[in-house]
Amino acid sequence: MHDLLDDYAHSSALTKTSPRLKLLLGLGAMLLCVSSATPIAPIFIAVTMSLITIGIAKTPGRFYFTLLLIPLSFALLSSGVVAFMHGGGDQLFAVNLFGFLLEIREDGANLALLLIARTFGGMCSLFFIALTTPMMEIFSVLKSLGLPDFLVDLSMLMYRYIFVFIDQAALIHNAQVMRLGDAGIKNTLKSHAILSGVLFLRAWEQGERLIVAMDARCYDGRLSLVEPAARAKPRAIFAVMIYIIIVSAIAFLTKDIRLL
Amino acid sequence: MHIMEGFLPLYWCVLWYALSLPVVAYGAYKMNRIIKENRDLLPLLAVSGAFIFVLSSLKMPSVTGSCSHPTGTGIGAILFGPWITSVLSIIVLIFQAIFLAHGGLTTLGANTFSMGIVGPIVGYLVYKACMNRNVNLYLAVFLAALFADWFTYIVTSIQLALAFPAASGGVLASFEAFLGVFAITQVPLAIVEGAVSALLFKYIVQLRGDVLLKLNVASPDIIKKLQEASA
Repeated sequence: MHDLLDDYAHSSALTKTSPRLKLLLGLGAMLLCVSSATPIAPIFIAVTMSLITIGIAKTPGRFYFTLLLIPLSFALLSSGVVAFMHGGGDQLFAVNLFGFLLEIREDGANLALLLIARTFGGMCSLFFIALTTPMMEIFSVLKSLGLPDFLVDLSMLMYRYIFVFIDQAALIHNAQVMRLGDAGIKNTLKSHAILSGVLFLRAWEQGERLIVAMDARCYDGRLSLVEPAARAKPRAIFAVMIYIIIVSAIAFLTKDIRLL
Repeated sequence: MHIMEGFLPLYWCVLWYALSLPVVAYGAYKMNRIIKENRDLLPLLAVSGAFIFVLSSLKMPSVTGSCSHPTGTGIGAILFGPWITSVLSIIVLIFQAIFLAHGGLTTLGANTFSMGIVGPIVGYLVYKACMNRNVNLYLAVFLAALFADWFTYIVTSIQLALAFPAASGGVLASFEAFLGVFAITQVPLAIVEGAVSALLFKYIVQLRGDVLLKLNVASPDIIKKLQEASA
């Protein structure tokens, strides 16, 4: 029912590399994206991150492109608002709508382009992390960074049960569709409510059984986590450093260039 | 409504993180105390968090035809109170960013503030106010989920407007524009989510009223009356 990015992370070619290094690369690229002043560095990040994710991590290209559609509607709507509201500079485009003059000026258009570029650069970096780093490795990094035990445990249990409930939700949904539970708005609403209600009750009962199961296995307030053995290779660290330096240089050198 | 990765400039990302993290830390502190007192609660909180995630990843029947996801935080706030919900929300938001590419990591602070803090607090206050005035439980749940959603969306619009004020009219004009553009999806979505939440509560009351009693969501009299009414 949902393509969870985590499924792809487990079969990626970069699964076995150091999670810290992958997080460093992804987060570094994200931060450079949001701090760059022109669209050039974010576009560079979007392109290179996509190439890394498809080329090196071997994520299926077709699936990757469907992912890129997710941020599209938000990016276009919000940048549209910014483009129309942000004046200054020459008028590029104007339309008279029901007596309101809507116009796009230079500054607005530039800012909107920057925002779209940043969103795509950021999303591509996020996809890189999501498609190469299984959630369990992210937990172990967080744990080594000093996140309290109960929060790590809580997140891991949540992670486990997300898959259980998604399966159950899919089963219930299929059963409802087969019985025409999605015919018309009223039925759809009712089906959706039944699905959520049953899911909550199942979740609750699952939780009650989980307590017993955990007690039976001597749960003492801490789940042990297997630390990943993967350590970063010097060559990989070097490559990541070079990449971040190149992107910073691009962001710095192009900071005064205007596209429009 | 999630702000996508990369949309907010760096200093706004930092600011919203600075505002959200203390609240989440307070929530974590409270949660830790509750778990220490009663260890049974950790698995229940975990399955509830997973439930909120799955609920928010289900596409809702939407009137405008756009793909719309509920926030589910209104229900969380009614069941667990706003502080604990803020902790569950930030974890759910990280999962949403990494599993479904909804939201992002630099915008996590801003999204936590709107969806995990303001929404649940408003929902909780609305719910409590309704219960104090003896409003019907289902209507109270409907209103709580509705206002939790609407305030989430108002706060998101404020966040976007503050980051990108209009040239003429400043933050206020920009706020109105964002509010207007996203109203098309968010206003009906909130009504649908409210209705679904109320119906969801109806099933819980009918089948497992004791769960609501355990969480101290409603008094035994109310649950009993509702169960008799539907029987």
